[in-house]
Amino acid sequence: ATERTPRNERQMRRKALPPRTEKMAVDQDWASVYPVAAPFKPSAVPLPVRMGYPVKKGVPLAKEGNLELLKIPNFLHLTPVAIKRHCEALKDFCTEWPAALDSDEKCEKHFPIEIDTADYISSGPSVRNPKARVVTLRVKLSSLNLDDHAKKKLIKLVGERYCKATDELTLRTDRCPLRRQNYDYAVYLLTVLFHESWKTEDWEKSKTRADMDEHVWENSSSEKNLLRTLGRIWATEEGTEASPGHLLGTEEAAQYRECVMHLKNQGEDDAALARYKDAVKRLLHVA
Amino acid sequence: FFCLFITVSDEPDTLYKRLSILVKAHDKAVLDSYEFFAVLAAKELGISIKVHEPPRKIERLTLLKSVHIFKKHRVQYEMRTLYRCLEVKRLTGCTANVYLEYIQRNLPEGVAMEVTKTQLQPLPEHIREPIWEKEVKDKEESKA
Repeated sequence: ATERTPRNERQMRRKALPPRTEKMAVDQDWASVYPVAAPFKPSAVPLPVRMGYPVKKGVPLAKEGNLELLKIPNFLHLTPVAIKRHCEALKDFCTEWPAALDSDEKCEKHFPIEIDTADYISSGPSVRNPKARVVTLRVKLSSLNLDDHAKKKLIKLVGERYCKATDELTLRTDRCPLRRQNYDYAVYLLTVLFHESWKTEDWEKSKTRADMDEHVWENSSSEKNLLRTLGRIWATEEGTEASPGHLLGTEEAAQYRECVMHLKNQGEDDAALARYKDAVKRLLHVA
Repeated sequence: FFCLFITVSDEPDTLYKRLSILVKAHDKAVLDSYEFFAVLAAKELGISIKVHEPPRKIERLTLLKSVHIFKKHRVQYEMRTLYRCLEVKRLTGCTANVYLEYIQRNLPEGVAMEVTKTQLQPLPEHIREPIWEKEVKDKEESKA
């Protein structure tokens, strides 16, 4: 007759021992029971855990032979005591942040360049992630050694990568297959931009008044009008020719210049127009 | 145990302005436990850390229930991704490597992580001054 277990195997099978939880003391060292990440062993965890969806008028299933408790990742190896012990051992490998760099401004002043890199960890057939080779280099233009012409030329060369609100240049490189190569390319780009913006080409000298970004006071029609008007007033009052430097050096002329520049560069506003009116009245000694 | 081989080198340590660690999982309980572990580890190592929870994303798809015909009977699946963002400020390179390795070795199964590092660097030497003046001087010297 065929039986499920042959008689000799039934006699030789050992009796199941009581679970280890009955021999555990309350103040035992738990880190030695679960030193590393291990699956949930119901005979080694002395907690009366229940998990599972119960039947009608029932309770969740007990921990013995419970698949739900095996499926979910457990953190039994990371109790606070175990974490503190690990950190004690790891502290020797850490270094302290330099105390002199406690604020963002000091970091900005001594280390103006910021480099963003990303690492990705996930479970899958491959460890690699193609997004990990992207490198972003950010610099504030105020920390670079640029004069007026160089800064404007750099902004024109770079186009969309410059943000006017934060005065920051962002270079995002991902054309090379390795992160180190992308970083080297970003630094090379920055160097080339810096040096090219200091150069003045021959064709840049033929820049006309219409090409200028902002209104320039020198040799503008407003300046010529002012000189002509003030010159005539001076001529009728004093009877002699006045020098342009003397006319422009007065306080009222400087104020008028400020108001005109503001109107042309930043646009017209009620307050700005009122200030322009005051300046003109003071110039002509009318108010 | 403690390791006997702590190597000290002369080259300057890299500085990280901030480290942004985004952890993604399907289960909120797992993320809560992991956050507790990461925050405690950071506090023990003396690192300032802040945690916030970006909103979850659910991707749903509707498929036909049967292999052949029965268009009116469909079945719907969804994939829930829950997030936790740990922001760490002002670390040195050594501390960052130690902390990240500890965190990553204890990452549970089924949880993904993205680490964004912002490194601080001084201006390279070749960007201090434009080279055109030096070139002109060198040419004059070589001619004279």
